[in-house]
Formats: sequence, C-alpha cells, structure tokens
Amino acid sequence: MADVKNLIQKVYGFLVPHLFACTVIAINKYTEIGQSSILIFSEFVVIPMLIGIISTWFWRKYELSSGKLTAYAFYNTVIALVLSFIFLGEGTICLFIVSPLIFGFISVGSYMGRGMFKKNDHTLNLSILGLLGLVFVVDSLSEHQYVNLVSDEMIINAPPRNVWKYVVAFDQIKKPKDSYWLFDIGLPSPVQSTVDGYRQGAGRKCIFSNGYVFDEKITVYQPSHNLTFDITRQPKDPEIMGHIDILRGQFILKDNGNGTTKLIGNSWYKLYIFPVWYYDIWAKSITRNVHSRVMEHIKELSEKDTGVHVRY
Amino acid sequence: MFTFVIKYLGWLKPVPLLAHLFDSWLRLISLIMQPQLLQWIDEVEAEVLQWQHTTSTLHKYGGIQLNAAEIELGHIHGNGLVDMLLSRQTKKAIMQEGRISNHHTFKDTGWISLYLKDKEDVAYVTHLFYTAYTNRIKTHISTQNTSSY
Repeated sequence: MADVKNLIQKVYGFLVPHLFACTVIAINKYTEIGQSSILIFSEFVVIPMLIGIISTWFWRKYELSSGKLTAYAFYNTVIALVLSFIFLGEGTICLFIVSPLIFGFISVGSYMGRGMFKKNDHTLNLSILGLLGLVFVVDSLSEHQYVNLVSDEMIINAPPRNVWKYVVAFDQIKKPKDSYWLFDIGLPSPVQSTVDGYRQGAGRKCIFSNGYVFDEKITVYQPSHNLTFDITRQPKDPEIMGHIDILRGQFILKDNGNGTTKLIGNSWYKLYIFPVWYYDIWAKSITRNVHSRVMEHIKELSEKDTGVHVRY
Repeated sequence: MFTFVIKYLGWLKPVPLLAHLFDSWLRLISLIMQPQLLQWIDEVEAEVLQWQHTTSTLHKYGGIQLNAAEIELGHIHGNGLVDMLLSRQTKKAIMQEGRISNHHTFKDTGWISLYLKDKEDVAYVTHLFYTAYTNRIKTHISTQNTSSY
C-alpha cells in the first residue's frame, strides 16, 4: 500500500507541474495578457524552474540523491519537449535547440525546490514563488523586439560582372552539405535561387533542400553592385513559424580592381523567441552557414566562368 | 571544457542563473559519464550536514554550497570540483601533500581546489571540510562571546 502511495506521489511529481505549465502557456497565448505570437524569456526560464520546484514539492518526503534529481529533471525535460511537439507544434530542430535551456532551468528549479522544502520555511517558499510569478507577468506584458543583421564576406577570383549573374540566380547546389552539423541532422539548406526577371521589382525565389521556398521581391537592382530583396512570404514550417522572420537579404559587390570581387552577403531577421542571448547564437550560426553555402556556390560558378581553377 | 569556460567565459558569471545553467549541464554530463560522482557529492553533503550549525544552499555560481554558522565553508560543482576556504597556514601545510591545488581564481588566499575523482577522495574532502568547519565554529563561538561582553 505504501509502495503504491509512493508511486502515485512520484507520478504526480511528473504530471502536475506539466499540467500547470500547459495551463499557464495556454492562458498566455490565447488571451490578451501577453503578446501571443512571441515566445518570451519566461516561458523558457521561469516555467521550467517552476516545473522543477513543483516536482520536488511532490517528492519532498523522499531523500532524492543528486543523481536521481538530475535524472528526474531529464525526464521532465523529455515530457516538456513531447508536450511542446504535440500541443505547440514545434519542430524537432527547434526542440533540439531549446532542450539544453529547458533541462538546465528544470534542474535549477529542482535544486531550488529541494533546498526550499528541506528548510520548510513557508515565507521563503511563498516569496520565491511570488517573485517568479511576478517576473513571468512583467515579462509577458513587456515589449519584445529584436532585429539583427548578419554580414559575411568573401573574395571571389572573378570580376563583378561574372559574379553578378550568379548573385541574382543560380542553379542547384549539388555539393554535399559541408560540415555544418545542423544541416546534417535535417535543417533545410539552400539549394537554388530563381528570378522571374532581371530588374527591380522582379520576383525571386530561394529554394531549400526540403522543397520549401522563400518568396522574395527585388527592391534594389544595381548590376555588379547591389542586389537587395525583401522576403514577401516564408514557408509555413514549424521550425520557423513564430520563431524567426527573415526580413531582407542583400548582396554587395565591390570591385577590388585586380580582377577579383569582394562579395558581401547581408541578412536581416527578427526573432520572436527569447531570451535573445541564447537564441541569437543559433540564429546567427544558421544564417552564417546559409550565407556560406550560397556564397561558396556563387564563388565556384563565377570562378569557373572566368576560367580560374581553384583547389579547395 | 570546464577550465576553458572559466578562463574565457568567466566574465559571463554575473548573468543571473547562467552559472547555474552551466552547472546543471555539468551534472547531466556527470550522470551519463560518471554517475558515481553524483553519489560521492551526496555523501560529502550528507556527512557535512550532520555537523551542528551546518546548512547547504545553492552556490551563486552553480553547485552545492556548504555553510557553517551561515558562512560558506566551500562548494562542490556538478563536475566534482570542490572549492573550499581554509586558513592560509592550513592551505600551505596541505599543499605539500600534493592532493590539492590553488583555487582557479583566488590564488593568494586560503581558497583551494580539488576534484572528487574516486571513493577515497570522499573521505579526504570530508576531512578537509571538517578542518574548515572547526575553524569556522571556533571563530563563530569567539565572535559570539565577544559580542555578549
């Protein structure tokens, strides 16, 4: 009988915190309390910490070792990720990216809870929970805006007029996906770019390896100097939706005067997922590697056209 | 990896909860690569908490902090790194045994560092904590007696 009671208590420790988390996120998303389209810092910090604290409240009578507490935090993380997949429609790459953050803060919450409930100081417990709740509410009501520019450059052994045509549009990239590990585990990589006209105002498409297409419109068309395009439509992919908007892309060509060109690739994006200090690391890395793949291909095509044989 | 992070990313320490996040990841890695390490940490903590006036809290830079009379004796990070405050004389004496090293940040102080690497280290670390504890309690009693006069 005692064993059954203990088992039920342990199961509650996994079940109840996630019910709480689902309820809070649902209230935040589907009411006017927060900015429903943005995943705020509190959802990745405060809620996981509360999951950890609430779990350890149910387990307060058991002398849980560090190993068990860490393992239970890991199980709680898996449950949180599965629920996010089912109810929030999050993509697997996104869940992979977010998992260290979720695990970390569930674990922090678990250790905080262990300390709180050992002391059995109700004033302390209430003040900590109250503080976390306050942080969550303030964060929900705060403005969240983050736009960033990532810029990369490359020297191409070809004159700007040879580079330009491949900047505007290029045939399929047949090279393997290089050494970027996120592409290797399934993140779509750029494969081709097409245009419906070589002029300002023309439509452009950037096609990715899973068939997804970014629709673009050329806003600046200065041959051999500047190609700028706004993204008019993004694919409805769970990895992207609600997380990041690619706003604009740009290629700048600078003639080095010696038959070579400095190609600069710029991308602007807006993040809807916080904290920025964590997610921007990933956003920048992915953008840089997309630039790298496209610009390497442009370089290869331009130099081949020029008759330059470059050993890679 | 830990040394690299402390050396090149240590300036991020003041960011709230970032160090705790890092320590959580260290604990997960320990759970996977060396699960008995977490048990050793628990054994040290359990032993220290049996002494009077001792408590354990979360260390501000991640890990379990062990205190006596509300003052820190030392802390243990999730990878088994133990940092402890001893008197300078005690530190100088035991440095010669070769089992401890200078603290990675506070070099010219009584702070020492050592890793829990095997079962024997549990007893040694507990003994060092006891040394720190007795010094702390003596100071605490002496302070209380002075203030009561």
